[in-house]
Amino acid sequence: HMAEDSPELLQHVKFQSSNFENILTWDGKPESIPGTVYSVEYKMYGEPEWLAKVGCQQITQKSCNLTMETGNLTELYYARVTAISSGGWSATKMTERFNSLQHTTIKPPDVTCVPQVRSIQMIVHPTPTPVHTTDGHQLTLEEIFQDLFYRLELHVNHTYQMHLGGKQREFEFSGLTPDTEFLGSIVISVPTWSKESAPYVCRVKTLPDRTWT
Amino acid sequence: QGHEFRFGPCRVEGVALPSLWEAFRSLKDTVQAQDNITSIRLLRREVLQNVSDTESCHLIHDLLKFYLNTVFKNYHHKIAESNMLPSFSTLANNFVFIVSKLQPSQKNEMLSVSDRARRRFLMFKRAFKQLEIEAALTKAFGEVDILLTWMGRFY
Repeated sequence: HMAEDSPELLQHVKFQSSNFENILTWDGKPESIPGTVYSVEYKMYGEPEWLAKVGCQQITQKSCNLTMETGNLTELYYARVTAISSGGWSATKMTERFNSLQHTTIKPPDVTCVPQVRSIQMIVHPTPTPVHTTDGHQLTLEEIFQDLFYRLELHVNHTYQMHLGGKQREFEFSGLTPDTEFLGSIVISVPTWSKESAPYVCRVKTLPDRTWT
Repeated sequence: QGHEFRFGPCRVEGVALPSLWEAFRSLKDTVQAQDNITSIRLLRREVLQNVSDTESCHLIHDLLKFYLNTVFKNYHHKIAESNMLPSFSTLANNFVFIVSKLQPSQKNEMLSVSDRARRRFLMFKRAFKQLEIEAALTKAFGEVDILLTWMGRFY
């Protein structure tokens, strides 16, 4: 029994990628058709065959993790979803051409903010990604993007901010007033790809000055 | 960050790769959506992988000249129809500038290098010629991101 085509059964088939975790998502419409199942296939641009994604065949949820299947940074990929409703309707839709290097967004960095009496240290931790080299080494964002750097800002008061930046991972804002609260924000920036993360924000108070004056 | 490409001995200053990406990004989805031959890729791995620095100047020179003289020239009308000319011009003008700065060495001892680069380019050109012209133009233009990604290695 051939399923009949019903395009509105399936919409917005696309990759959502952040820090190289590539998730295929879609919408089912109208929501009211229970029992619709979805099957996912993917392929490398330039290859003839579509490959079935194991674990995403005849599923009911509307997302599928294709990180491992689309992990080669120099390759481009397509994915497609086939929806089949219990009433025998079907629809198949394909993504746009996808490449994680181009499309991934950058998550806020992982930072430790350490208050001292007259300074605040900010230590940025490397960001691991699911991307591995052929010899199995897990790559960090810093290793993937050669021109990646950090931009730091310390809000001292409404009108005055301090700025630091660079590729190193340890920064220190000094010359601060003891026992005072500051708001720090740190972003990752990748100029060549025009990528910038949302900020990591830390609210931190400098230590009281206990030295006898 | 200095805006400079170093294709082996060939240096090109004054081109900002992010601006090329920005220009192409605004065209990409429209152009790639018109390419429904997902099983053929013109700029295949064999064309761009493991290119030595000395080869790179020869190869980028051939590729950009082809893009300007064949792809951009004949795809222009389609771009004009879908009012994407400003971004298209940014790409084209920067490619013209880069080509004008490239001087691939013609010395005898470089013959084997230029031959290898030439073979890579001809692999790409043959794949292009095997397609119907409109499909080939659309596919080649849609693969500018592959070209820019490769160029990024020399930036």
